[in-house]
Amino acid sequence: MIMVLQDIQREYRYLPCEALLQTAQALDVKLSKVFSVATFYNAFSLNPKGERVVRICVGTACHIRGAALIKEQIEHHLGIKAGQTTEDMKFSIEVVACVGACAMAPVVIVNDKYHGGVSVGNATRLVKD
Amino acid sequence: MVTVTINGKLVRAKEGEMLLAVLRREKIDIPALCHHEAVEPYGACRLCMVEITRKEWDGWKNMVTSCLYPVADGLIIQTHTTDLIELRKTILDLYLARCPNTPEIQDLAAQYGVNQTSYEQVAEPNDCILCGLCTRICDRMGFSAISAVNRGHGREIAPPLKEAPPDCVGCLACALNCPTNYIKYTDIGQTREIWGRKFELLRDSRTGQPTIPKEFAEYLSKYRNIPQDYFEQNDESHRKETALGLGKIAVWSREESQ
Amino acid sequence: MTIATPRQLEQLAAEYKKTSDKHKKMVIVCCGTGCLANGAQKIVDAFEECLSHRKVKDFTVEAVKKTGCHGFCEQGPLVVIEPQGTFYTKVKSKDIESIIEKSIENDEVIEKFLFTNPKDGRKIEKYPDVPFFSHQHRIALRNLGKIAPFDIKEYIAVDGYKALAKVLTTMTPDQVIDEITKSELRGRGGGGFSAGKKWRTCRNVPSDVHYVICNGDEGDPGAFMDRSMMEGDPHSVLEGMMICAFAVGAKQGYIYVREEYPLAVIHLQKAIADCEKHGLLGDRILGTDFSFSIRIARGAGAFVCGESSALMRSVAGEVGEPRAKYIHSVIKGLYDQPTVLNNVETFVNVPVIINHGADWFRKIGVSKNSGTKVFSLVGKVRNTGLIEVAMGTTMREIIYDIGGGIIDGRPFKGVQTGGPSGGCLPESKLDLPVDFDSLTEAGSMMGSGGMIVMDDKTCMVDVARYFLQFLVSESCGKCVPCREGLYQLHKLTIKICEGNGTEVDIEKMEKLSQQIVVGSLCGLGKSGPNPLLSTIKYYRDEYLAHIRDKKCPAGVCRSLVTYRVIPELCTGCLACITACAYHAITGRKKEPHVINHDLCEKCGACVAVCKHDAIEVS
Repeated sequence: MIMVLQDIQREYRYLPCEALLQTAQALDVKLSKVFSVATFYNAFSLNPKGERVVRICVGTACHIRGAALIKEQIEHHLGIKAGQTTEDMKFSIEVVACVGACAMAPVVIVNDKYHGGVSVGNATRLVKD
Repeated sequence: MVTVTINGKLVRAKEGEMLLAVLRREKIDIPALCHHEAVEPYGACRLCMVEITRKEWDGWKNMVTSCLYPVADGLIIQTHTTDLIELRKTILDLYLARCPNTPEIQDLAAQYGVNQTSYEQVAEPNDCILCGLCTRICDRMGFSAISAVNRGHGREIAPPLKEAPPDCVGCLACALNCPTNYIKYTDIGQTREIWGRKFELLRDSRTGQPTIPKEFAEYLSKYRNIPQDYFEQNDESHRKETALGLGKIAVWSREESQ
Repeated sequence: MTIATPRQLEQLAAEYKKTSDKHKKMVIVCCGTGCLANGAQKIVDAFEECLSHRKVKDFTVEAVKKTGCHGFCEQGPLVVIEPQGTFYTKVKSKDIESIIEKSIENDEVIEKFLFTNPKDGRKIEKYPDVPFFSHQHRIALRNLGKIAPFDIKEYIAVDGYKALAKVLTTMTPDQVIDEITKSELRGRGGGGFSAGKKWRTCRNVPSDVHYVICNGDEGDPGAFMDRSMMEGDPHSVLEGMMICAFAVGAKQGYIYVREEYPLAVIHLQKAIADCEKHGLLGDRILGTDFSFSIRIARGAGAFVCGESSALMRSVAGEVGEPRAKYIHSVIKGLYDQPTVLNNVETFVNVPVIINHGADWFRKIGVSKNSGTKVFSLVGKVRNTGLIEVAMGTTMREIIYDIGGGIIDGRPFKGVQTGGPSGGCLPESKLDLPVDFDSLTEAGSMMGSGGMIVMDDKTCMVDVARYFLQFLVSESCGKCVPCREGLYQLHKLTIKICEGNGTEVDIEKMEKLSQQIVVGSLCGLGKSGPNPLLSTIKYYRDEYLAHIRDKKCPAGVCRSLVTYRVIPELCTGCLACITACAYHAITGRKKEPHVINHDLCEKCGACVAVCKHDAIEVS
């Protein structure tokens, strides 16, 4: 069930209610179970994400190298907090616990593109239009 | 049959039985908020933890939840050591931080000498202790209408999409078994409302008294071979009469479902 | 093309070895995650571009090999010229023309790309001579940086699947388990449980169905060992699983890969597909009775799913709620069947143990801790990257000899090992050997291999707060001690970081921690208080400074520090004014700037951009 939801998430960038209902029917699983899974795991979002999803790594190595500051800068620049999407649906900010690129800390991923060694100077450049 | 030692006393028990059942039979008072005989033990509240050891362990002890631990011959159990009391106190203290105004929690905590929480209270407390009994019972009933939603501290019990649950039949098993009466429902006239969903109650064909929701009756008649008109009988003796006439009905037992 | 017999495999291996002739010139481009993020693909593209319009003698684009992570991430992108072993660091795509011209057409070494040893300032030409590599003992990482991960031929050429063939044709399942047990291979995911014992218990459960699962969840922030192995040498993971499956009687295996590692999934999928094509997975492998298939199960973003029972629930499509393990998952695991769950690194070690023998493996490492361990050395250390050393190597050796010491020569403050289940150890503990047992005694643990180095600008109270925040967000929420207890601990650390803590709070946290350790259902809760307890143990003074003096010695905790521009050092360059998102700094060009304390959020952006060290944090 998880992999089905992941495919849907990838396709629509979120899990529409319809999708949850159809998944429950197609897999012959109770809707409450689908909803539990959809809300348990970080990978799933019940709200539509922006065109560009900015994932800021806040793993330990990145934290030690200043990830909190980078997060703050990006949040301030876009006017939203992590977990939210801009009004114009262009950007969403997410925090990730660790993406396994620790030697490149701090890491920010914009739509599957990895940016390592992000610093205060270039953080906001990643989210410019 | 096996022999175990509980608080110094030798006790006989069935092999593979869960320790908590044995303790209860021995009338030992162990709190177990997330436990219910009708469903599988869950091990979430941690209040039923006891200390176990064996002669071969040379003094090494383990703390286990008695609801999930199967007895075995030679097990030595202590139920009220100072460490265990301290643990239960802490757990109840933590519960009070989440449910400060819930009488059942207040009472249980008071039994352990905890009258108010020493931790930070949550912003908007309610009576849900997240024991999960409602969801497990609902699963057991076969409906799985509600479930645990979100993860960690933000966990809550809710219907899917936080809307009226499509799979609910209004059987009230969740509400009637909730240890803190958190799940509210109303029965007004012919209508029952629970989890934001309204149900039409069937009527007793003779007295007009409401019985159970139509959806529940449909489920029972479909899966349990009980004719629907059985549920249009609120009068107990009337029902008994009909039941006798139905002959043998599949009785729902734990063994059968496994 | 099915490999129908072990003899065929041998022949193919010989054939592939010949084709990857070591004497022919080859260029290896590191395509580990770090180097990829730094432009490794552009380098590969540049090679292809240059070679498309430039004829080089005895060298075609086929000789440009993309490999997995070399481990020296700090110096990437990395390019190695074989067979000489010339090691180039920090290469850019614009440099490729000259590399082709000088180092490939001719045998010239381009000095500016060579690694400079910070100890003596000398440039080092060859890859094995670089201290970062020469101190390592690469067994699990044996193929990383040497073979192209998506080419099964290259794996076969380096004795790939030779161990599988040996096991299938000359050993019984019990003999395999004997050998693994004799080697004293312990679970590399951090648990350190004897792999052989686990396999034996699983095998002895009377059941028609057994499962083998590889734990590729690697949830510890700061750890990327498993990732590199899954991406850079996927076949060795598969081979280890196959040997285990033969030993325990499993027909179906799963690799659980965390959601955050899409590249690992792709590489593993390719490896599995290639194995199926060659008959190395499926029915009657290598012509024997052994049948086995592997599927990939993807995680969906939950640290708790690294815990074995939660992982199995996740594989089954449920929420990752652990269960009490009074009946171990080795007996009743996935779908209530006997299941072996081992870490990626554990499986990667299996083929070498079979090929070289348990005795060989036991000779490496120290007593009761045989073999090597892969670590991700990150944080404030100069040479961040992936390393592998023999068990028993001291932390000092790792951090200073391999890691090159602290960045900017700052004082060492602590090293955090074992992820959120581990703790921080101070300078006085640096001579402890790193193995499963020694660090645990000191209050930390080796864990899966994450090693995060901290300097004096790291606040240990903030570190404790950080780990608790992580654990609170990752807790599954089922049991009270973890869900409520860690939440309250977190709140208390915030209180201290904000300057509102009392000494009673420390005592309160210690007591609550003890109850959480005893009462929690699973490892996440049970080991959750470790970072807090170890920092209180070794850095109590820092806690007291926050409480009594309302100061943060490291200058991190925002409520307790003040930012001030030192007018004598300020050149008036406007950099901090531009960087300040809160418009708290004013000043004109070439005039000393001033920070308005009412608006200053102490975020540190100005300090980060000031090139003149003109901002004081006190």
